[in-house]
Amino acid sequence: MTYTRIAQREGVEQNTTRKASVLERRRILRDWLFILPQFSLYVLLTIVPFIVAIPILFTDMASFTDPTVAPVGLRNFTALFTDPSVQADYFPALRRTLVFVVLNYTTVYIFGLTLALLMFEVGFRGGFFTIVYLPLMVSGLAVGYMAVMLFSRETGTANLLLRQLGLIQTPIDIYSPEGTAFILPLLVGWRYAGYNMAIFLSGLLSIPNETIEASIVDGANYWQRLWKVYFPQMLPAFILATTMCLIGSFAVFDELVAMGALYVNPEAKLLSILFFTYGFQVNRLAMGMTLAVITFVPLVILGVFLQRLQRRLQY
Amino acid sequence: MTAATERQLPPPPRKRGLGIAGRRRLLRVIALIVMLVYTVLTLFPFYALFVRSFVSTRDAAQLHLWIPEAAEVSMDMQVGNLGVFYNLDMAVIKDAFGIPQTEFLMARTTLRQVAEKYNIPEQQIKDYFEGFYTFNGWRTLLTGSLYGTTFWAALGRTLLITVISLTLAIILSIFTGYGLSGLRRRDQMFVYNIYLLQMVIPAMLILLPQFLIFQWFFRLFPGYNDPGATRWGLQLLSIILINIKGTALSTMIFTAAISAVPKELEDSASIDGASSWQYVRYILLPLLKVPIVSIIVIMLPLIYNQFLEPYVYLDPANTTLLPFIQSAVGQFSTNFQLIYSAILASVLPLVLVYLMFRRFFVEGVMAGAIKG
Repeated sequence: MTYTRIAQREGVEQNTTRKASVLERRRILRDWLFILPQFSLYVLLTIVPFIVAIPILFTDMASFTDPTVAPVGLRNFTALFTDPSVQADYFPALRRTLVFVVLNYTTVYIFGLTLALLMFEVGFRGGFFTIVYLPLMVSGLAVGYMAVMLFSRETGTANLLLRQLGLIQTPIDIYSPEGTAFILPLLVGWRYAGYNMAIFLSGLLSIPNETIEASIVDGANYWQRLWKVYFPQMLPAFILATTMCLIGSFAVFDELVAMGALYVNPEAKLLSILFFTYGFQVNRLAMGMTLAVITFVPLVILGVFLQRLQRRLQY
Repeated sequence: MTAATERQLPPPPRKRGLGIAGRRRLLRVIALIVMLVYTVLTLFPFYALFVRSFVSTRDAAQLHLWIPEAAEVSMDMQVGNLGVFYNLDMAVIKDAFGIPQTEFLMARTTLRQVAEKYNIPEQQIKDYFEGFYTFNGWRTLLTGSLYGTTFWAALGRTLLITVISLTLAIILSIFTGYGLSGLRRRDQMFVYNIYLLQMVIPAMLILLPQFLIFQWFFRLFPGYNDPGATRWGLQLLSIILINIKGTALSTMIFTAAISAVPKELEDSASIDGASSWQYVRYILLPLLKVPIVSIIVIMLPLIYNQFLEPYVYLDPANTTLLPFIQSAVGQFSTNFQLIYSAILASVLPLVLVYLMFRRFFVEGVMAGAIKG
């Protein structure tokens, strides 16, 4: 008797859990339905392009409307070592890009970190933040033209002003190799100063106040506090800034177009310009895609690694 | 470590002289000076751009810190030279003075001769050319048309894309956040990790295959489809689709915000008979003001300043503001006054919005940075 009662009760419980699981399953299905519209769009436009690209890498597809596409095996990949015309395009662009990445990464600290520390020490100032963040409202294209406006050899406003003040003798020429190499990262760093400052500042603000006070009580000077208290605790912010700067600088495009990279200024031809030209202008689509994959896929892997590192440190 | 601290403990007497309060005041003054210098350096390019949009190409080699006075137009100037100075077409000049286009104006004719021959008051001619001295860039930009479109039409398309993209992106992101907040942690992380890839995949890498995918669906290439409303609509649609596909940041912000809303709220709403759609619309949406503002202030500049995708996807006659300016530069490559006017005109709307709503921008950006 008790046995059957227990069995009955179990049966009832099973029944309710089954009912609950049906409800639960329906709820999960509904949740997926809410996720689906954006997620499918995202996968189609961000992940599927990789899959679409893979077969093209092994063909000689010249343009988007190429009627005769023939497989060529690994020729696109080996071209980097055998084809002089590709080498002549790729390696100078790679060199310029690497120089730009290094200099641009420096400006992340010169602008972003310095301003964040300044803001942290004197207290958050909304007005100053507004000023620092202002250049981010300017398009990359406009920043490029501003660079031209300020540093053209004959007509640059900054050139004319600095010469008037007697600070420089010979004008800076934005179209010279050195001019392009230094002014571009300077202006890009200026543009992203507010963004990087926000990253570093939020890193600084997340440091528990006790550790800072303890270090002051223990008599640590500012330099020691910086290296032993601030920097170790804002490591996630450093990693985030590194990831964003790395990916962003390899893909810099708008500023270069404004500086005449597509037509007149070969010194501004960085890798992104090369991929664009191969894809849309000189009918070497498959080659351009291959170069882009060779260049960017290691970067994406590095970026994923940095992201995981950042999240592990954060939680 | 202890040795180092002990060495620090007896500070040099001269530094002590300032005292903690004095040192703090000194730090404050230095910080203020640095802020002031940085402010000036940041604002200077904007100011220079403003002035340069009024400086004619002819005078660009001199330093101007304010809008230069228009030089007196001499009646002995030759028409051809003025055309070159002010980047004016001879046909435009003829139109302005009511001279028939069939008449042939020699480039070496002086203004005085023109005035006498066609019976035009000298003052009218002077005023006309002086107007083009300072405002050449603005006049050409705002009244001219290029490759079948005008500045105003391009600006309108930019605003259209921006508004639609932002609205749809926010709605879809709220859906994503709502769905994700209900899932198990494992599924949540799976979706979220895929979204995280967006942060490390540069637009340049997927640009070419992405274009190919749109090509399959929309047939955007010239020759596949006649230029027309459908084709232009599809082009704009592809830009919008790229903008609303969702980012790691939007997913993260909305998932976190919606997870923080108590589950009891949804239960009580469903007991009262609300569908999940009604719950999202009437209960969740009003609670999400802060993350929505955060997403708007982060995405608005990105979408408004988008250049690469419109440059690739849109026909020249159907283009947005920045590609329009880029094509104007190609066309008038010597008229820098026009170029700088165009750049300023493209920068101004967003800067004004930014200054008007700066409080939201500062708060939203800091909130986003803490999440990021």
